[in-house]
Amino acid sequence: MMKKYLVLLLLWSGTSNPLNAQDLPISQIMIDGESWELVAEGYQFTEGPAVNDAGEVFFTDVPASKIYKVDLQGKVTLFSDQANKTAGLMFGADGKLYGTSIGGKAIVQFAADGTPTSMAEDVNCNDLVVLADGHIFFTDHVDGKVWNVSPDRKLKEVASGITFPNGIIVWPDQKQLVVSDMKGEHLWNFCISADGSLNHQQPYSAMQLPIGSMESGADGMTVDKVGRLFVCTSLGVQVFDTQGRLSGILSKPQRAFLSNVVFGGPDLNYLYATTQDKVYRRKLNTTGVRFTK
Amino acid sequence: MIRIQLPGAVALLLLGFCSQLLGQSKYEYGPDSQRQDGVPQGKVTQHRWENSKVFPGTQRDYWIYVPAQYDKTKPASLMVFNDGGGYVREKGHSRVPIVFDNLIHQGRMPVTIGVFINPGVIPAEQPGGTPRRNRSFEYDSLGDQYAQFLIDELLPAIGKDYNLTDSAEGRAICGISSGGICAFTAAWERPDYFSKVVSYIGSFTNIRGGHVYPALIRKAEKKPIRVFLQEGSSDLDNLFGNWPLANEQMAAALKYAGYDYQFVMGTEGHSGRHGGTILPEILTWLWRDHPDTPQGSN
Repeated sequence: MMKKYLVLLLLWSGTSNPLNAQDLPISQIMIDGESWELVAEGYQFTEGPAVNDAGEVFFTDVPASKIYKVDLQGKVTLFSDQANKTAGLMFGADGKLYGTSIGGKAIVQFAADGTPTSMAEDVNCNDLVVLADGHIFFTDHVDGKVWNVSPDRKLKEVASGITFPNGIIVWPDQKQLVVSDMKGEHLWNFCISADGSLNHQQPYSAMQLPIGSMESGADGMTVDKVGRLFVCTSLGVQVFDTQGRLSGILSKPQRAFLSNVVFGGPDLNYLYATTQDKVYRRKLNTTGVRFTK
Repeated sequence: MIRIQLPGAVALLLLGFCSQLLGQSKYEYGPDSQRQDGVPQGKVTQHRWENSKVFPGTQRDYWIYVPAQYDKTKPASLMVFNDGGGYVREKGHSRVPIVFDNLIHQGRMPVTIGVFINPGVIPAEQPGGTPRRNRSFEYDSLGDQYAQFLIDELLPAIGKDYNLTDSAEGRAICGISSGGICAFTAAWERPDYFSKVVSYIGSFTNIRGGHVYPALIRKAEKKPIRVFLQEGSSDLDNLFGNWPLANEQMAAALKYAGYDYQFVMGTEGHSGRHGGTILPEILTWLWRDHPDTPQGSN
């Protein structure tokens, strides 16, 4: 009897207020007393934070063509000195590290010893996302395009017409792609087809712009388990809810260019941020997503 | 202890449940919101729109209400409802088909075709994908996109089957929450098309920039639109803004700029209950001087 009423109650609470669409203010994910803490410093231009299965975070120092690893104790070691100006990094479901080599104009896969192998060549690339099914999407800010590298390593253009496509990520379901426009206002959404083509391009979210500017300064992005997007911009980390609405802005860790973010640590509850010479992290009351299946 | 406390907690929960279920509220539905003997009933039909050019990839349901008094040789007035699925249900917050039947029968509004449109959804391309919900994009965004969708796309298709008025005077648009600001935006952008707006608990807040309207209304040359705003003092106060204050600001701006407007502040929260119960009065005010309103002032 009681069970029956509780079920009814749950049904009621879930359906009575369809207008009260779920708001996701950043106060839900911020933790009292937790703020940005320094992880590493002394680099030229940090980018591409990526997390492996263990929760260790890798990042690149783009001009130095080096990739570093931050282990779970916070110790930083060199992973590769053959990065050839790799800017974007992400681990695939195969446990391998993938990157966008601006110097080599190539999408590369790094072996465990840090040696790169080309997956696609002669491309202008910036940042990338690697899906569990093996599809890779990367941004090409030179031509204003998005490209796909299929699991059998075929390259095709899948979107165009974005002023400066920079950051790229997928929703937790890996069926929806989001691209940030650094020199515009919007986050662009696409539906991903099984063959890696993109449909229904839409400026789904409008970012907050700095006063007097028409450019968001948007760069790298990540996503949490409920689908919030975390977008690096001139104004800070702009957080968007699943309906594309701005939920709030986390302050930048330092007064410098903020290039990218990823959730790291064994529980994926630390947001790591690369910003010019430094890497920071802060604990949040949410967790990132592993695109492993 | 547990044996005493648990049933108590369940009873409390049930109390909340029942009061919601029974719709206990100080706002009750009057006779104009109930079926009355001898009042001819209009017909509601359900449709689907899947080939939008303004919102590519979207799919949505919509409903058309045609009053019993509709005569295809005479142009009918038109009223559009955002989040239409909620308005068209006879057991919904507004019971529009019943209210229209009663008011048209009484001559308190013109013969009016109701179009009830749900927001779009873009389904994922692959199984198991999360659909892209387009409601906030369509309703909360400022600009003329949604008006374009209505005026250039959906309404002309309906106009092929029904004799709809070609004057703004005979066209109204209504919505709740984000649908409320959307109704205002459509008329604000296209006063040549819509002359009447009804907003329940309108989201004139910063979801996607809509908090600027009070400032815009004060500075822009007055537009030929009539506005009814309903709001509740227990409405939302969240990251997007404070709904009661935002609606107060809207009302003050409309007053300052000399608009024909009405503002009703009740005590409800973010719900359609209050607006729904006073819909007959809202419509009577909205259509009061339309030439085809028999009991109107014209």
